[in-house]
Amino acid sequence: MLQYFDPKHVSPERDYGTPARLSETLVSLEIDGTEIRVPEGTSVLRAAALADINIPKLCASDNLEAFGSCRLCAVQIEGKRGLPASCTTPVENGMKVTTQNSRLAKLRRNVMELYISDHPLDCLTCPANGDCELQDMAGAVGLREVRYGFDGDNHLAAETDDSNPYFSFDPSKCIVCSRCVRACNEVQGTFALTIEGRGFDSKVAAGQSEAFMDSECVSCGACVQACPTSTLMEKSVIEQGQPEHSVITTCAYCGVGCSFKAEMQGDRVVRMVPYKGGDANHGHSCVKGRFAFGYATHPDRLKTPMIRESIDQPWREVGWEEAITFAAERLKAIQAKYGRESIGGITSSRCTNEETYLVQKLVRAAFRNNNTDTCARVCHSPTGFGLKATLGESAGTQTFDSVMKADAIVVIGANPTDAHPVFASQMRKRLRQGAELIVVDPRRIDLLKTPHHRGAQHLALRPGTNVAMVNALAHVVISEGLEDREFIAKRCDESGYQAWREFILEERHSPENVEAITGVPAEQVRRAARTYANAANGAIYYGLGVTEHSQGSSMVMGIANLALATGNIGREGVGVNPLRGQNNVQGSCDMGSFPHELPGYQHVSDPAVRERFEAAWGVPIDDEPGLRIPNMFDAAVSGEFKALYVQGEDIAQSDPNTQHVELALRSLECLIVQDIFLNETAKFAHVLLPGSSFLEKDGTFTNAERRINRVRKVMPPLAGKQDWEVTVDLANALGYPMHYDHPAQIMDEIATLTPSFTGVSYARLDELGSIQWPCNEAYPKGMPTMHIEDFPIGLGQFAITDYVASEERSNRRFPLLLTTGRILSQYNVGAQTRRTDNQAWHDEDVLELHPTDAELRGVRDGDWVGITSRAGQTVLRARVSDRMPPGVVYTTFHHPGSGANVITTDSSDWATNCPEYKVTAVQVEKVSQPSTWQRQFQSFDRLQLELLRGGKDAAGKQPSAERANE
Amino acid sequence: MSRSQLDTLIHMANQIAINNAHYADAAERIHTHLKKFWARSMKHQIIDYLREDGSQLSPLARQAIEQLAQSQADARPASA
Repeated sequence: MLQYFDPKHVSPERDYGTPARLSETLVSLEIDGTEIRVPEGTSVLRAAALADINIPKLCASDNLEAFGSCRLCAVQIEGKRGLPASCTTPVENGMKVTTQNSRLAKLRRNVMELYISDHPLDCLTCPANGDCELQDMAGAVGLREVRYGFDGDNHLAAETDDSNPYFSFDPSKCIVCSRCVRACNEVQGTFALTIEGRGFDSKVAAGQSEAFMDSECVSCGACVQACPTSTLMEKSVIEQGQPEHSVITTCAYCGVGCSFKAEMQGDRVVRMVPYKGGDANHGHSCVKGRFAFGYATHPDRLKTPMIRESIDQPWREVGWEEAITFAAERLKAIQAKYGRESIGGITSSRCTNEETYLVQKLVRAAFRNNNTDTCARVCHSPTGFGLKATLGESAGTQTFDSVMKADAIVVIGANPTDAHPVFASQMRKRLRQGAELIVVDPRRIDLLKTPHHRGAQHLALRPGTNVAMVNALAHVVISEGLEDREFIAKRCDESGYQAWREFILEERHSPENVEAITGVPAEQVRRAARTYANAANGAIYYGLGVTEHSQGSSMVMGIANLALATGNIGREGVGVNPLRGQNNVQGSCDMGSFPHELPGYQHVSDPAVRERFEAAWGVPIDDEPGLRIPNMFDAAVSGEFKALYVQGEDIAQSDPNTQHVELALRSLECLIVQDIFLNETAKFAHVLLPGSSFLEKDGTFTNAERRINRVRKVMPPLAGKQDWEVTVDLANALGYPMHYDHPAQIMDEIATLTPSFTGVSYARLDELGSIQWPCNEAYPKGMPTMHIEDFPIGLGQFAITDYVASEERSNRRFPLLLTTGRILSQYNVGAQTRRTDNQAWHDEDVLELHPTDAELRGVRDGDWVGITSRAGQTVLRARVSDRMPPGVVYTTFHHPGSGANVITTDSSDWATNCPEYKVTAVQVEKVSQPSTWQRQFQSFDRLQLELLRGGKDAAGKQPSAERANE
Repeated sequence: MSRSQLDTLIHMANQIAINNAHYADAAERIHTHLKKFWARSMKHQIIDYLREDGSQLSPLARQAIEQLAQSQADARPASA
């Protein structure tokens, strides 16, 4: 007898027709004489598929609930009347099912005949040729004729909607199976599609019968993937044809870390299809991951190393060896002149673990100092600090799937529908099932408008008052006796708890007293605290709206306090969940990028730790922490820091107080930039080393749930080298030998030196698909949920988090508070997405402001406005929006010419120097021309593109310079 | 506009101090923080400033930096 109850046993390559059921009660039935046992609630269609009996189907797909509309999956069941659809019929004990006989064959052939009578017969020239379920089913049922002819009423002349840049909608091919509509509802949760009309007039419609681009569609592509015909089809497939092989890899955009099948023709990507076997995304994706991969082959890609003596000179194209030698000689000369600590390196959260590991190793072992840092400095460094101090590990506690067991979901300073869209879809699924939602954010984020979810609580606090808010929430928990005493007694440090309890019970933390600070009515705060504390499972998700503050670390600890006090740690459905911005933020932190920690968060001052690394690396390691990124800038400006190696980061655009950053970069005697494009930082560089995109290399990324996923090379590196090879070359040229043939060997080295990675290897990753660290002898398959038994530091530590007001306060001169963030279609500094058709959604950064603030300043939608802070001024177009609270304005930083970071200041988190991007006091006024900085930016940008062109022309190649933004 | 490097360090030290002020062992915590997270050159600069002037440092920050000066002066390599 066949037994199926473990969903892991199914193949992600097959479609079993309806979703898996997880009941532990097994039901036994017979299908075509084969006995099979499956979980209760499984459909007959799925049970048959598990027994490798493939019943014809069209409207069914195993990522969607059964719908029963096509009738193709009809079966005969002994003792039952008629021919029921197997997709909507659940299995029963003792059931005897027949899937093929002449009666069924006739019925199916009739069904297909009707479908085909209103379908174009252009199979040979159809883009879905070779990948069409309708065609497959016509074959499966043996359709030989269409007796109705093709002259009757039909939809064959329906017009194609080409409005979306990535896919087309050709309704003439539509069979109205509703899979696209259900995918939009069930998988994505946007509800942008519907079936309009009845009977023969039924048709798929976007929004209110609009073009896709004009509707609420977010272009996630779930509908395209669900479509069984070529009605919804990737334009890349229409242009190029069907792929001939595929490789499973990991997306290089956000911290969700979706698995994809890169579907290929030779070394050309035809399309990216989210991989059903991916444990982070389960076959779903967003507009970036699925569609925005064209940047990898954009003409702006750097293909040749370049060098120059100073930044006002044209670039000179050279070979790899010359460029590496030039860089190494410069670094050595600078160290000889200014000292060992005068140089440093920045690792990338976009590169792989192995590449990040090598860059920090290069700094520590070849530069012989600890001046290494990563862009996590400017996003989640407070998470590392705060969670290590309270829970003992610098990482989120859960899997993404854990949200499906959460009863109260608290989202603080995060905008998942834009920044972590695939996880947001899963969260919305749970919200539709009835979980409570509490959003703590100055802005009315889209999650609050989740279709089919009611009663969301929105604590719209003033920017910069997070800690006051989290203290007020904790005050309610403790003063109203809602704490989990048993958990606290068993799992937390007693004296620390008592001290915290005394602190948090102080009347100044009551919601009534805090109301004046946060602007949130006390009753709302009390209600939210009760909702979270009383829920069977309360889960907190947070983002950069927590960390990017002068009290970012305090807020992370405040969140941990709340979870500890309510016992919401150590099982599924709960936890403290940082939503990481970039694909490998978690990994870059794990790999020892921070100046005070070796890989695995092991402090450089620990002699036992250093001894192990010294033995492996063969050099002494400095026992003092190195400089963090902002400290490097300060030291550069004051003349002590002279050279920097930057891999895959664009600090000139992403870091705050642009003018200070530019001054620092201009102060360097040698700036080495390794990137796939001439980014803003590279315009200040002396050595340009072409990087490789995620499609061109092997390695691993670690996502926000600590999941290590494989990145697999699908095409050769455009410039001939993967990024890790370049670092190896630089180390060797500096006289520190590094020898690796493949990133797998780098991971093996990481595993020997990092206690939480001892069980990780490429072979193990291939075997398990992915691994959530820690993975070692105690947890050979990794650890999905952390802190189940105890904490790495033994007992949970409550932290005293006194609210200290930000120095960035609104006043008469700067009466508004600016907060920055990102949107769905663009990614971070935009270097990748700006070079794709995602520009169709967001081709400029705008300033959002409340109608009252706009009216007060005579600003209308679309006007140019100058935004001035104590750091600088920039000019953007205004968007009047009531999702902003009065007094708060918002912009994104996806386009370099926008200069969002010209206005952000050097105010930063007290513990980690993470910049306070989320609070800048500003004034906004109507203007008629770009700011001084913007005019300087434009002329400098023009000059640098000319200097790049100079280098390329000299080598006889035609450049293609991108105008990032006007 | 930007602060000078030393002004930034003074500001950072005071910020660390005020964020830990509520602990009974505040000075020791601040000292540990500086020891664990500040680069050698930053430590030297703030210690030098304390010795030469120190007027812009809060009393708690000053106390912690005095401890830092002591622990840095103590025999190396004793930084566990």
